[in-house]
Amino acid sequence: MEEQAEMVGRAFVDHYYHLFDTDRASLSSLYQPSSMLSFEGQKLFGANDISSKLNQLPFDQCKHLISTIDSQPSSPSGGIVVFVSGSLQLPGEEYHLRFSQMFHLIPTPEGTFFVQNDIFRLNYG
Amino acid sequence: MDPDALSKAFVEHYYTLFDANRGALANLYQETSMLTFEGQKIQGSQSIVAKLTSLPFQQCQHSITTVDCQPSGPAGGMLVFVSGNLQLAGEQHALKFSQMFHLMPTQQGSFYVLNDIFRLNYA
Repeated sequence: MEEQAEMVGRAFVDHYYHLFDTDRASLSSLYQPSSMLSFEGQKLFGANDISSKLNQLPFDQCKHLISTIDSQPSSPSGGIVVFVSGSLQLPGEEYHLRFSQMFHLIPTPEGTFFVQNDIFRLNYG
Repeated sequence: MDPDALSKAFVEHYYTLFDANRGALANLYQETSMLTFEGQKIQGSQSIVAKLTSLPFQQCQHSITTVDCQPSGPAGGMLVFVSGNLQLAGEQHALKFSQMFHLMPTQQGSFYVLNDIFRLNYA
């Protein structure tokens, strides 16, 4: 069960940040009405508001570079918590921003996962 | 108790225990608990506390910068995401860390740590 959590975590992280960096609007497919995002302390609910927030971030292009991915099963019903750290490069900026992010993935009937909980924090200093 | 207040109370309790009496953390974990500590996976309260009490420092002080929490589902669980600094005695610079807890309610009306993931944040 733990190995599966790790595999799902890695595959999800790969997919999520690839979408974020190439087609941010399509991230909405990974959230549902029950999803929650805390972005630098700001709380958003539901795929629409979450997607709006991410689309309105003050940069057109970005690149995530992932340093660590840790995953664990969160429940007998197949949920997975994924903890990510890495850096975010914005075009024109000399220094990368460091960040940590946590996802709680819930299985869908179709055999994929959606993001029910998402918490993002920049790591300053 | 509202989730934000609850998570702040938990975080304060956890790190106070950690900094004062690491062995007492055993009460916060159960047999199903999982800790991933800098990539090392440990399961069960006994093994987790053995790991934490064998960390290579006697004294430490956590100072918390941010706490974010969200309910995790119908079972009443709470996800808590923490960032802060860890000062070790004798070290000039504090280490920066991030940590995630998934808390589940107990029958006695408190919470235990089901999932715990800890990472240092290197510059």
